[in-house]
Amino acid sequence: MAALTVRDLVERVLAGHAALAAVGEGVADEWQYVADLGAVWSARLRDVAATRGTESVSSTTAAAVHRLVAETQAIDDPHRAIDWLSTLPAAALLALGEAP
Amino acid sequence: MRFQDAARDARAVVYAGVQADPLVAQAAELLAGASLGGRTLARAVMNGGSADPDAWRTMFPSLFEGPAAGASGAILAVALRVAALGDDVRSQVRGAIVEALTERLLARRAPGAIRRERRILFDGVTAEIHPYDVTVERPGAAEAYDCKWGARGIGPEVLLQLDVARGNAIAEGERLTVALVVFDARRSCAARLARLSRPSGPVGLVTLESLDRLAGAPAVARPG
Repeated sequence: MAALTVRDLVERVLAGHAALAAVGEGVADEWQYVADLGAVWSARLRDVAATRGTESVSSTTAAAVHRLVAETQAIDDPHRAIDWLSTLPAAALLALGEAP
Repeated sequence: MRFQDAARDARAVVYAGVQADPLVAQAAELLAGASLGGRTLARAVMNGGSADPDAWRTMFPSLFEGPAAGASGAILAVALRVAALGDDVRSQVRGAIVEALTERLLARRAPGAIRRERRILFDGVTAEIHPYDVTVERPGAAEAYDCKWGARGIGPEVLLQLDVARGNAIAEGERLTVALVVFDARRSCAARLARLSRPSGPVGLVTLESLDRLAGAPAVARPG
């Protein structure tokens, strides 16, 4: 099995982030904020994929990102989802050795 | 311009009990010395979720290697205790932790001048009911901070109160530095602020990435 790359992990985080946003949209008053978080963090993550996308990642880093995304998949409370819309990408970027 | 203790109404009495919880002081002390990674770990855990410490060690592997592992373990343990609280209490405790953290960092720069839950009074101006979470009370160099757990807590009324206070101080020939302290990523705060009306003057923003600036110099810059 080919080693995972930064792009693979970024795509994983982006998918997890989109799923979180779908839960967060349950707070009607925060629809715009949820959309804005999706836009700004997606842009930051895609920047990382654009510059380091083909770089292989260690199994430790891959496990960190996969576990972070898994942590958010259990969330069904929209308020908690909004908290994680900021935290998931920040934590994933740190795992990738990037500044949030 | 003068400072005054906030009224001891029922809300204040209840919240004072939250602020006095030893868990708040313990978390603030640990976070005052933490790295950005340690603070991000704390935010993630205190969002509520897995109660398994090993899961968090997997998510933040670099924090649990080398000499920082002990400090990271202490942060994780305290954060898990906060996460285990019920939603309402956890929310209050998280807010109190950000205030206590702000107080500790400011005290490195201005020991003896830090106060909590204070109102600011100006001649001929009706006083705001909502007190400032943390103030630095020094002649000619006062500061007022409103503390938030997340960027979502930033709203127009908070910005307006800080902005108006700064303007009132200027009208009295005083200097008052005002800022938001938000235990959240700068990028999320910027997204929140982008939808709000810009203040008439500088309202500072201190985020997870820049908390240590509180110990170094007054926070005056607003993000672009």
